[in-house]
Amino acid sequence: MKADFLGLTFAQLSGLLLGIFGLVLPFLLPLGTLSFAGQLGLGILLLAAAFWIFEPIPIFATSMLVIFLQVFLLSAQSPVFSEAELPVTEPVDMSHSSWQIPASALKDDQTILVSVGPGETKSIHVSITERNGQHAIVKSDELRADHPVITQPNHRLVNYDPSSYTAFTGTLAHGIIILFLGGFMLAGASVKYNLDKNLTRYLLAPFGSKPRFILLGIILVTAVLSAFMSNTATAAMMVTVIIPIIAQLDPKDQFKYGLALAIPIAANIGGIATPIGTPPNAIAIGALQGQGIDITFTEWMIVAVPIVLIMLFISWVLLQFFFPPKIDRFKLQLDGKLNLEPKAIGLYIIFAATVILWITEEFHGIPSNMIAFIPVATLVAGGILTKEDVKKIPWDVLWLMAGGLSLGVSMQATGLAAWLIGGVDWASLGYVALILSFALVAVAMSNFLSNTVTATLIMPLVIGLYLSGTMGDNFSLIIVGVVIAVSCSLAMALPISTPPNAIAMSTGFIRTKDMAKVGLTVGFIGIIMILIMSIAYWPFVTP
Amino acid sequence: MESSDIYIICIEDEAEVLDAVVRDLEKLEATFPIDTATSAEEGRDLVNKLLDDGKKIGLIVCDHILPGDNGVELLIELHKDEKTMPAKKVLLTGQAGLDDTVKALNEAKLHHYIAKPWSKEELNEVAVNLLTDFVLENEPNVLPFMNVLDAERLSEAIRSGKTLSNE
Repeated sequence: MKADFLGLTFAQLSGLLLGIFGLVLPFLLPLGTLSFAGQLGLGILLLAAAFWIFEPIPIFATSMLVIFLQVFLLSAQSPVFSEAELPVTEPVDMSHSSWQIPASALKDDQTILVSVGPGETKSIHVSITERNGQHAIVKSDELRADHPVITQPNHRLVNYDPSSYTAFTGTLAHGIIILFLGGFMLAGASVKYNLDKNLTRYLLAPFGSKPRFILLGIILVTAVLSAFMSNTATAAMMVTVIIPIIAQLDPKDQFKYGLALAIPIAANIGGIATPIGTPPNAIAIGALQGQGIDITFTEWMIVAVPIVLIMLFISWVLLQFFFPPKIDRFKLQLDGKLNLEPKAIGLYIIFAATVILWITEEFHGIPSNMIAFIPVATLVAGGILTKEDVKKIPWDVLWLMAGGLSLGVSMQATGLAAWLIGGVDWASLGYVALILSFALVAVAMSNFLSNTVTATLIMPLVIGLYLSGTMGDNFSLIIVGVVIAVSCSLAMALPISTPPNAIAMSTGFIRTKDMAKVGLTVGFIGIIMILIMSIAYWPFVTP
Repeated sequence: MESSDIYIICIEDEAEVLDAVVRDLEKLEATFPIDTATSAEEGRDLVNKLLDDGKKIGLIVCDHILPGDNGVELLIELHKDEKTMPAKKVLLTGQAGLDDTVKALNEAKLHHYIAKPWSKEELNEVAVNLLTDFVLENEPNVLPFMNVLDAERLSEAIRSGKTLSNE
């Protein structure tokens, strides 16, 4: 349905209006304890959510807009905060726990705010003994002479210590973004020198000619490639591999559905396996780094690879069950030779060295984010990637992730995350129910939204929830992050769920109902597996 | 799938031949609506009308011998127009001389030359190939065309970085 306005569809137009309305909404409602900066942050979050969901502008553009709004509304140099100073005064000791303070500092509920550090205040209850014009005499055992009293409790700097604008723009050079840049450049070079295609032919050869083993081969190869390349590029490449296979099948043989569905399923699941496999992993790792928790490449793999293998095996069984092959055996056309020109060999060496260094961090101690700069620098220095190739790197995905990380920064700093999840007794839900709700919400949202956007919207809330301490003591922040990242990648019921789904669907080999049937089953079993892992495996492999 | 706004134009003065061209391309019609004209003049009007309606011209299959201006002249004219330059151009002919053929190649950047009589497979293959080129060169999203056009070439383009919505 096309509306006549600016060439936007009705949904996009609604999203545009909803987003703009969302930006101002927090200032029209009484929001209780939310700080002024929190209100600004909430407005930006509502705008971002509406724009990411309805896409009146591309999702990476929304990310750039988010960073822009934060720089101009929330940073220390922004017009809102650059001139502002928190109005404080020291209380005058009148002895016997009596203090003289400015009357304006008194809130209606007989409390005052004292500054206890940048961006932090403490609420102190006082009893008023006397009011004389601009001053008040109050009694309090808590108040001390070195407690600066905030004279305007509604001031915009209360509970907010604005950081420099570079805290928001700097997310584009966040370690995890550099890690992805390294991954993107390795993947780009692999595509350029056909490493992915040729590797696929070698890797598929041992799986013989029996349909079920060829299916297994395709699942495993797709997953391995998508763990290091983008899920999208992997799915597109694998489609070119299965087209000749499907051409050999009887048009009535249901096995073609299985083959065609194996690709998006394995590409989506395979992305979970390494930090660089798919952007939701980056959002999780970035958010954890923000809390001072560094996860190495291997630590992530130890956590993620078992559930990947289990889900791949389950998908293999499911696809054979839903679409049993009629054909007994068929021949795989496996021509193609590894490219042996010097630049291609240079790529193989750099690729291997990078991956080896990534997975051996425990031995040499160099963080994976730093190692990612080895391929970045050597691939261009060696002429393996040219300027044109560098321009083809999906910079929009890096911006998308940077916007997500940046939103997470301000949601914690403004107290927005804590405010949004406050007021509910989360601990009473218990460990299992909480993990289950995280996974359910993430899988459900991610079926309709970009996986990265889902992770971006949920992760700051979950981190805030953890930091509020209301979840109980059983939780590890790492497990919480992993649950969200994994759940976002397990949503694959619809053609719009992920780009690999869209690619598989558009080949015309599969029907929407088949994708929904298998995708829902995988998602459902995936949530159960997440629960099992959260109870029986992850607590034992994370600090 | 639903039809796109990319049109195939067939220009041919003999009714039976025109019917044959349209019939041979019917597999593509669900995605690429086919419109016809019987002279260069009519072809020109049709192209302008479609462009005014905001449609795109993906493929022009044109007979050489037409009443009034001949097919080569029309194709050259369409190639000089910025709006129809991206369209893929096929000359259908029984008796074009060497001069005309050379002229068509040089000045209209003719993409394919089909001699009469043609086979259905040949015409289809040429059309699918040229429309795949057109879609790759002009469409931001190639996914809607995967099941009618050359899926291998389109996926190859996605693999090597053709824009697609994000993960």
